[in-house]
Amino acid sequence: MGMMPKEDVEAKIDMIIDKYAGKSGVLIQLLLEIQRELNWVPREAIKRINERLGIPESEIYRVVSFYTAMSLTPRGKYLVRVCTGTACYIRGAQRVLTAAEKAIGVKAGETTDDLKFTLQTVNCLGCCALGPVVEINGKYYGLLTPKTLENIISNLRGESS
Amino acid sequence: MEANIKEVNLTINGVHVKAQKGTPILEVARQIGVEIPTLCYIKGLSPYGSCRICSVEITTASGRKRIVTSCNYPAEEGLVVETDSERVVKVRRNLLRLLLARCPKVTRLKNLASLYGLNEPDLWVENDSEDCILCGLCVRVCNELIRVSAINFANRGIKRTVTTPYDEFSEDCIGCGACAMICPTGSKKVRTNNYSVVRPLAAPQKDEKLGAYIDILSAKSSIEGQDGGVVTALLLSGLKNGMFNKAVVVKRKSGYRAEAVIASTPEEIMEARGTKYFRIKIVPKIKELISKGERKIAVVGTPCQVRAARKIQQILQQEHPDLDITIIGLFCFESFEYEKLKAETARIMGVNLDDAEKTQIKRGKFIVSINGHEYSCKVKELDHAISNGCPYCSDFPAFFADVSVGAVGSPDGYSTVILRTDKGKKLVENTCLEYGRVNVEEITKLSSFKKNRAKENFEPLIREIQAVRLKIRGAVGDDA
Repeated sequence: MGMMPKEDVEAKIDMIIDKYAGKSGVLIQLLLEIQRELNWVPREAIKRINERLGIPESEIYRVVSFYTAMSLTPRGKYLVRVCTGTACYIRGAQRVLTAAEKAIGVKAGETTDDLKFTLQTVNCLGCCALGPVVEINGKYYGLLTPKTLENIISNLRGESS
Repeated sequence: MEANIKEVNLTINGVHVKAQKGTPILEVARQIGVEIPTLCYIKGLSPYGSCRICSVEITTASGRKRIVTSCNYPAEEGLVVETDSERVVKVRRNLLRLLLARCPKVTRLKNLASLYGLNEPDLWVENDSEDCILCGLCVRVCNELIRVSAINFANRGIKRTVTTPYDEFSEDCIGCGACAMICPTGSKKVRTNNYSVVRPLAAPQKDEKLGAYIDILSAKSSIEGQDGGVVTALLLSGLKNGMFNKAVVVKRKSGYRAEAVIASTPEEIMEARGTKYFRIKIVPKIKELISKGERKIAVVGTPCQVRAARKIQQILQQEHPDLDITIIGLFCFESFEYEKLKAETARIMGVNLDDAEKTQIKRGKFIVSINGHEYSCKVKELDHAISNGCPYCSDFPAFFADVSVGAVGSPDGYSTVILRTDKGKKLVENTCLEYGRVNVEEITKLSSFKKNRAKENFEPLIREIQAVRLKIRGAVGDDA
């Protein structure tokens, strides 16, 4: 997903808000949809939701900053989540993470400038027997070594977006 | 007493009590003189149960025993409550150990802890300057009472904090100070980041009602604007003399709606003539100008906008020492919300506000001019249209402006001008104005009126806050 022109982003935000206007208790669903469509929740979205639905900006910010499913900074096309939970950790998650940081070129929690990758650590992905595990956009990769992870990343990098 | 289905019987510390079903048991206990300690509870705001100091032990009608927070546990039939049982004391003591480890230097916490035999934190202290227990009282008072919602919680877990969106100065904040007032620990967090404490101006005269000032005048210009057209004249002359190159002003857009715009030419300034009685955010425009390299900026606004402009100037000057903002303040008793004002003026005067050529507030009247006709009603009648926060604001004459302008204190066709800083004085001196007689008493009167209104509105809250503090003070002997 490349960077959309500002006007397109604003139009998209307005279109999403349209769907929820007039209903109550929709903030989280609305924000999740913005996150899904734009891959983050920009300032503009918080401002527009406030203007159109009358929800205080501080309340919207509270929700976005609370949920890990929402992001206050742009996320990359691929969300690489390295499990550093106990089981993965003892099976070498740290080496996998170091390899991921090297292959992607950013530290955990950061996003590449080309918005291709966001690297995160998570505490458990629920499949400890496969550790060390990495999840990328919903797909699970188990029994990883630094080498196999590097291959996965370079394959994704090679894909045309 | 007549049988009332809503009335329930409960027992508190062995005493039988009747109470309305649903009343928090903390309140029921208070009614019979049983005091339960609290930190995050103030009557009048929604109970939150976050500090958990008000924990009590209950036995329900079905015989189930447990610990609950009494501030938000509703009275129910057959409930047996123990407020100081051994188990309760142990629970509170452990809560205080945790709170004390989080905020070891907070006097009120230390006092409360000492009542439970704790004098020093006995758990690991991560940051001994931490002073916020995340009780959310400031958030609730800002949202529920003042109703401006400038602050809220942000993040989660160990990163949870109370702040404004993006941790930046918030223009939703009216600087009322309720958050600081209500804080049970006296936390600095809210005050430094959000509550817009502005450095006072240095001026020869200082007056509680008029603010700091150099001189007070009555003046008019040759421009037809609001009253004496002074603000427009000041902007035009300042622009011409190079005191500033851009001005952030509020201009009507469609109908009576208004928006903040940047004016760079005399024509653009003329287009923004006339008062708009709204609270419009101006800080984004100031930031936009700064990001474009502008450093000499004028801002016109109501006292809350003036405070925001002054605050943002003090913040941004650290990064841009050459930033020079000239702030022109407008006298303001209250502002309105567009939708509500439109509805109310239609209901009371039968006018379509969007057609108004001009609106003004004179001697307690809201006057709308349409096609040469003047329609008016008492400003008091428009109470429902007042912006959130205004009833709690005590700044009438824009205390933090370089120069304040308004109708009050001047004859028709003139504006009152309060020179507050050398910059404001210079701006006025370089503007061609005709001077008249000023009636300072009138300004003082209106300013007192606004201050007293805010004071009266705050009174019930202050009474509750003091009641809670006195209780701890009474028990320990002193308090922060």
